[in-house]
Amino acid sequence: MAEKFTPDQQCIVSTSLTGPESGAPCVVDTNDGRITRIRPYYYDTEYTDANCNPWKIEARGKVFKAPDHAMLTPFGLGYKSRVYSPNRVMYPLKRVDWDPNGERNPQNRGKSKYVRISWDEAAQIVADELKRIKATYGPEAVLCQADMHGEGKNVAPAHGCPNRLLSLMGGYTLQMRNPDSWEGWHWGAKYVWGCEPVGQMAPQANLYPDIAKHSDSLLFWGCDPETTPYGFGMCMPGRLCYWLSEIGLKSIYICPDLNYGAAVHGDKWIPILPNTDAALQLAIAYIWITEGTYDKEYIATHAYGFDKFEDYVLGREDGIPKTPEWASEKCGVKEWTIKALARDWAKKTVSIIHGNGGGLIRGPYSSEPARLEVMLLGMRGLGKPGVHQAKMLEWNLWNRDYPVPYQGQWVPKITQIADPLRPVDGDVDPKVNMDRYVLNDAQKKRAPELIKLFTQFPAPKQFIPRPLIHRAILEGHADWYGLQVFSSSQQPDQNNFRQPTQQYQFQHMKYPRDGLSRVHMIWTDAPCQITCWNDGNLTARAYQDPSIECIVAQHPWLENDCYYADIIFPVITKHEMNDIGNDMSSGGFTSIYLEEQCVPPVGESLSDFDVCAKVAEKLGPEYYDAYTDNMDEKTRVRFFYKATGCEEYMTWEEFRKKRIYVVPCKTQEELDKIPAGLYPFYSDPENHPLTTPTGKLEYYSTLLGEHTPDDPERPPVPHWVEKSESHDERLSSERAKKYPLLCVSNHGRWRMHSQCDDIVWNREVGTMKIRGKDGYQYEPVWLHTSEAEKRGICHGDIVKVFNERGIVLCGAYVTERLMPGVCYVDHGSRLDPIIPGWLDRGGAINTITPTSTTSKKATGMAVAGFLAQVEKVTDEEMAQWKRDYPEAFARHIDPDAGVCLDGWMIDNKEAI
Amino acid sequence: MAKAFVIDVAKCSGCYNCQLACKDEHAENDWTPYAKPQPLTGQFWCRVTDHVQGTIPKVRIHYIPRFCNHCRNAACMEAAKDGAVYRREDGLVIIDPEKAAGQKQIADACPYGAVYWNEALNLPQKCTGCAHLLDHGRKLPRCVEACPTDALMFGEEEELADYIEGAAVLLPETGSAPRVYYRNIPGQFIAGTVYDPVEKEVVIGARCLLNSGGKRWETRTDEYGDFWFNDLPVGLFDLSIQMPGYEVKLFERLRTRECVNLGDIPLSRK
Repeated sequence: MAEKFTPDQQCIVSTSLTGPESGAPCVVDTNDGRITRIRPYYYDTEYTDANCNPWKIEARGKVFKAPDHAMLTPFGLGYKSRVYSPNRVMYPLKRVDWDPNGERNPQNRGKSKYVRISWDEAAQIVADELKRIKATYGPEAVLCQADMHGEGKNVAPAHGCPNRLLSLMGGYTLQMRNPDSWEGWHWGAKYVWGCEPVGQMAPQANLYPDIAKHSDSLLFWGCDPETTPYGFGMCMPGRLCYWLSEIGLKSIYICPDLNYGAAVHGDKWIPILPNTDAALQLAIAYIWITEGTYDKEYIATHAYGFDKFEDYVLGREDGIPKTPEWASEKCGVKEWTIKALARDWAKKTVSIIHGNGGGLIRGPYSSEPARLEVMLLGMRGLGKPGVHQAKMLEWNLWNRDYPVPYQGQWVPKITQIADPLRPVDGDVDPKVNMDRYVLNDAQKKRAPELIKLFTQFPAPKQFIPRPLIHRAILEGHADWYGLQVFSSSQQPDQNNFRQPTQQYQFQHMKYPRDGLSRVHMIWTDAPCQITCWNDGNLTARAYQDPSIECIVAQHPWLENDCYYADIIFPVITKHEMNDIGNDMSSGGFTSIYLEEQCVPPVGESLSDFDVCAKVAEKLGPEYYDAYTDNMDEKTRVRFFYKATGCEEYMTWEEFRKKRIYVVPCKTQEELDKIPAGLYPFYSDPENHPLTTPTGKLEYYSTLLGEHTPDDPERPPVPHWVEKSESHDERLSSERAKKYPLLCVSNHGRWRMHSQCDDIVWNREVGTMKIRGKDGYQYEPVWLHTSEAEKRGICHGDIVKVFNERGIVLCGAYVTERLMPGVCYVDHGSRLDPIIPGWLDRGGAINTITPTSTTSKKATGMAVAGFLAQVEKVTDEEMAQWKRDYPEAFARHIDPDAGVCLDGWMIDNKEAI
Repeated sequence: MAKAFVIDVAKCSGCYNCQLACKDEHAENDWTPYAKPQPLTGQFWCRVTDHVQGTIPKVRIHYIPRFCNHCRNAACMEAAKDGAVYRREDGLVIIDPEKAAGQKQIADACPYGAVYWNEALNLPQKCTGCAHLLDHGRKLPRCVEACPTDALMFGEEEELADYIEGAAVLLPETGSAPRVYYRNIPGQFIAGTVYDPVEKEVVIGARCLLNSGGKRWETRTDEYGDFWFNDLPVGLFDLSIQMPGYEVKLFERLRTRECVNLGDIPLSRK
């Protein structure tokens, strides 16, 4: 009896969902080969403060210090439900009416169901298809859709294994990720302040100690510190927010919704219409300029082209002064509140806080509010104590030093064996290259055993930016601007300096490149394009295009793009494999830990690495040998540890015993020496220039002036863009007569993009799902009480959110937490296609987001701040859909987990 | 010595970790003799409720995690036959999953709705304080351990005395004498924004006087023209807003059964 109260086994496993990093260490208890519980790891299990040297921030007589245990998020806690989800792919699947030797029925993708096949058959089919496609069209005819976010795994990463195998086969077409949470910073802010590689303020070093000491208030502008960080394995930002309030800082939230951070930390909520922040920002600049309350001395020494900015703000350029009255009409903030905000800000020491995502930075023309924000900070003396742009997540992001002083005395680097973020052959200067996935010289020296495994295969010869995949497939060609559409991950040098990359955004690129094939086959390990990217419905139609002869997906769960695949490989979760984890981002301590296999693989699933090895085996022994170097998982773990450099501090034997190495924090003396943020630029701009061409804050961008001076969507001085060739998504639009609401879509509170939508316990929370009267758990759409009343909608009603791009069914969440004129649906809800490419029951709001990129010359995506209408679904309408699409409605839905494997299987349990 | 929970509502960020950790521990895990498995979904031995107060843009939210109150005068114990509900030496109230079979009245008796009737197992069920973990070397119930903001505390009642002082219990009128204490459950508020409709400026520093049956509160509008009267009881209030150079603005008989947002209030120049 007593045995069951003691776990058979306790393993350390993280539940990061970001991909390259693992996040906070969790303890997973198992009994009888099954997960019993998931708990936080306590650092004092193996360590004392003398080992860890816990960090602290002291300010205004109070202390904020390192926690004694890892902070688990709702995702980490509920992960057992994910491992044993009824949505797991249990064995290899083939779409029932896809016959590689006969009819392929691409038009039925998203509709037809699946049959179970053997591993042998599945791997053989894919190997044969790869060979056939390559022989027929050339290797570039295979598009590899690998991406970043996913379980944080290292020796067999969630993303990039197919790239590695395809490189061996002579190449492929790379799907290049765009910075999906940073669009405006990447495509806009860089032109003002450089700040490589992301375009958000860099470095972020030592910011929070500085803010705690010097700032009066914080503007959380489109930021939710209680949501987005969860996906990065952090609950620390929430703790920090409480502390900053406790020591007297005021928190002002500017966002259309009273987001989860605003709800508990906000001293003031200023609701703003989605994607109208640029108007508010311009009006603030107008007040400061006309009242002379900005830091003129700083502007004189730190800024370039301020006069042209002034011309635009005051209306000398276009005859329209950007007054509070002008802005109020556009952004929905009262004129008197705009003035009050501008004046209060001018009197105080203020930092702006961001958490990625949200309405500010992911809408049409997001380059403009991003640039304007930097300019406002500049007018307040950016870089001086207490005046920063600080992040509430990714505290480790390509920084040498972190904003919260938890970084260790040194930072161990775990390499990854995958390759999803590679630039294309010959495109980019190697100096700014992405070296995240290579074995660096120090690692080679430490672990020569890995050199062969890490042989760099040739880079692909063409790519398609992710926001253009649908058009590229359907039209057979595409063109865009940017050699690189994702931030380079180049590591900073000793002075926190990185090579500038803005100039890589100007080359006019095309697909297919001369002499190379268009795409005829897709292999995805990130099957979430429809639910996470722009105009998902167009993507669905692209996947049904006859030019695509074969789609292969590998994933632990049958969801989203998987429904459009012809072959699906089952993949294990982290808990079913051996790995080595790294916590660089949870905000407690930096640590490296041994992640042992907790439970046997569910069904016939294999690691992503081994899935591709299976295919390699069918391609021939030379592929298998080169792909695997015949090194098994546990051996890779051993040598990866060797490569981290931790062995100089802890032997492998001791590491195996303790299973975690916590890197001691820097001493207070060391920390005090690190300048906060852009302080060096503030105090000495001549000797610490920015990476803009002038070295200064560019209110008139010299690069945009030189390359695209007449771009109406991203002119050299940032503008308010009402409508343009790319977008017509304002309330002033003719379209708004039919679609009168601006839809805002945040990163989900209860999901990380599309991950974790099936945690049954999260789905019981009222803001996660709403059970409709038909028993189906609908994704909530928030509506203000007045908008609901106008439409005769009650809380819990089944409603449709729609525009010309399609219809998404949701459950009405009627609330005072959202301003009128707006509807709000978190992105990433799993697809449940009723009419593929048109009607979704699962609540995947991105299916109806704008098709065009951020702007013509900014190749990001616009997935928030677009027009839609919300109406109640009548019983008659629902009945009609059920009559018209009986098969889609007949798919089994798990009452707790939603869409599931059973719903998509042809009943062929005896077939094998 | 008895165990107690203290919940600081002001520190609860509404992450629901406590509710989720309870599910992770008890859903489909059999901890007999402490408890049979909680159903996978639908029942909440720990349940977080969210409370949205006010109207846009004066909206505030607080969350209240609720579980068995491990009452000193536990109605469930009284309702139980055969000693099916008992109190441990450490004060935790436990439903014996063998003896309680079929005793639906145990679930019905709880004034807090904290005892659930598990139809499939024919059992009343509730929070055990994770007694099975406490008896096997762990110090905290799962909900408390999972709280990222230290809003939940658990320990010996005497040791938590400082936190318990001044704290509230739920439904004190039932006389159940809970051992779960709540700090900082906010009361009602009256708020608004004062502005000059001609200048289109907020009015900063306006004196706001609130009166209810002779009891008075006073505040001034801040940099945004905002005033907030927080933690008010439910009742009827009269408000006057005064600013030199402006007409006095009066609001009479404001009811605080719901929180009151008076919105943007124009003040007329004299």
